[in-house]
Amino acid sequence: MTTPHAPRPLVFEQVPLGRGASQSFTLEIPAHHTVAVLGDEDSGLGALGSYAMGLDRPPAGRALTFETDVGALPERERLAFRRRVGYLPAGEGLLQNLSLRDNIALPLRFGSGASPKEIDGRVNVMLAAVRLSGAGQLRPAQANEEERRRAALARAIAFDPSLLVLEQPFDGLTARVASELLELARGGESAEGARRTLFITGQEIPPLLLRRVERVYRLTRAGALEPETV
Amino acid sequence: MRAATQLTAAGRAVAVRIGINQVRFTAVHAVGLVTLLSGIMSFLVISQATRELGRIGATDLIGTLIVVAIVRELGPLMTALVVAGRSGTAIAAELATNQVLGEVRALEGMGIDPKQYLVLPRFAGSLISMFTLLVVFDLVAVLAGYGAASLNGMNGGRYFEIVLASLSYKDVWLTVLKAFAFGFIVGVVPSYFGLTVRRAPTEIPIAASRAVVSAIVGIFLCSALFVALG
Repeated sequence: MTTPHAPRPLVFEQVPLGRGASQSFTLEIPAHHTVAVLGDEDSGLGALGSYAMGLDRPPAGRALTFETDVGALPERERLAFRRRVGYLPAGEGLLQNLSLRDNIALPLRFGSGASPKEIDGRVNVMLAAVRLSGAGQLRPAQANEEERRRAALARAIAFDPSLLVLEQPFDGLTARVASELLELARGGESAEGARRTLFITGQEIPPLLLRRVERVYRLTRAGALEPETV
Repeated sequence: MRAATQLTAAGRAVAVRIGINQVRFTAVHAVGLVTLLSGIMSFLVISQATRELGRIGATDLIGTLIVVAIVRELGPLMTALVVAGRSGTAIAAELATNQVLGEVRALEGMGIDPKQYLVLPRFAGSLISMFTLLVVFDLVAVLAGYGAASLNGMNGGRYFEIVLASLSYKDVWLTVLKAFAFGFIVGVVPSYFGLTVRRAPTEIPIAASRAVVSAIVGIFLCSALFVALG
C-alpha cells in the first residue's frame, strides 16, 4: 500500500510530445502499477523514457520522478538519483565490448560500494533469475535478441529499484518470453505491494500481456493520451 | 581528476583495466613503429652530420644535434604524431560508436558518468603511453646515432661523451613536460570529438578525421609554444 506521504513514482505534467503535437498531456503512474503508453514511432513516444530519467528535458511542462525533476539536478546528484530507477532503453544499450555478465555488473561496479566478490555473487543471482547462466560470457553481438533483452533487464533491475522505465521492452520477442520478462520486471506475482512500478513505452504490447498491465494509453498524433480498453 | 576521485573501488578496478588496455594498444603495439621511425631518422641525421661536420672539424655539435633537435624537439613531436594518428583516431571512432549505439545514454541512464567510464581511462592511458613511447624514441635515437657515428669513424666513447655533455636538466624536464602536454592533447581532443557525435553512423569517420586533424594541429601549436617559451 502507498503511504499518504510516499512520493509518487512518476508524473508527467503538461508535457507535449512529437513535432506535430498540438496538445500536451498529464499522466501519473501510481506506485506498484504497470502502466504502458503506446504510440507510433513518429509520435515522439521515444522521448518519454528520457524525460523520466532526466536524460532530456521536455520542451514544456515537467517530468517528475519520485517528485524530483531529475534533469534539473546538478550532474553528480543526477547520476546518483538515476541509480534509484531501473532503465531499459530502446535498443538495450548494452556495451558491445563487454560480455553480458560484465554489462550486468557494470552499474554495480560503478554505483555501489560492494566488493568484487559481492558483486560477482549478485550478478550470478541476476543471471540465474533471467535464465542467462549459460550465456553470461557472450558479447551482445554473439547473443540473440532474447538473450540481449534478458541481460538488459537484469542490468536495469541490478539495484532492485522500485520504479522501472522500459522502452520497447517486448519488440521482437515471442509472447511467452515477453510475459516472462514482464513478470521478472514486476518482481514476481507476490502481494501487490511488493511489485515494482513499471512504466512501459512501445509501439505495441502482446495481447497476452495486456491483462497484467493496469493501464494502457495510446498517444495520438496530436499529442494527447487516450486510454485503451484492457 | 575529480572524476577519478569519485570512483568506487570496483569502478576504479574497471577503469584501471580499460586504462591498461589503452596503454597496450597505444604504447605496446606502437613500440615497433616508434623504434623504426626513431632509429631510421636518427641514423640518417647523424650519418650526414658526422660526415659534414667532420669536414669542418665540428663533430662536437653532434651532441647538440642529438639532444636539441632529436631528443627535445623531434622526439616528442614524432611520437605525438604516431600516437595521434594511431590512437587518436581509434579513441574518437570508438567513443563515436559508443554514442551512435546509444551506449553513452545507457551509461548515463544507469547513473554512470561517461567521463569516468569512457574518457578517464583513455586519457590516463594516453598520458602514460606518450611518456613511455617518448622514452623509447629517445633511447633508440641515441643508440642509432651511436651506430651512425661509429660507422662514420667516430669513437663510441667520444660520441656518448659529447651527447651527455650537451644534455642538461632543462632538456630532460622539458621533454617530460612535452610528453604530458601532448599526451593530454591526444587523450582529450579525440574524446571530445567522439562524444559530440549525435546518432548517425556516418558521423563516425568525420569525427575520427576531425579528431586527428585537430590533435595534430594542437600538437604543433603546443610544440611551437614550448619553443617560444623555452
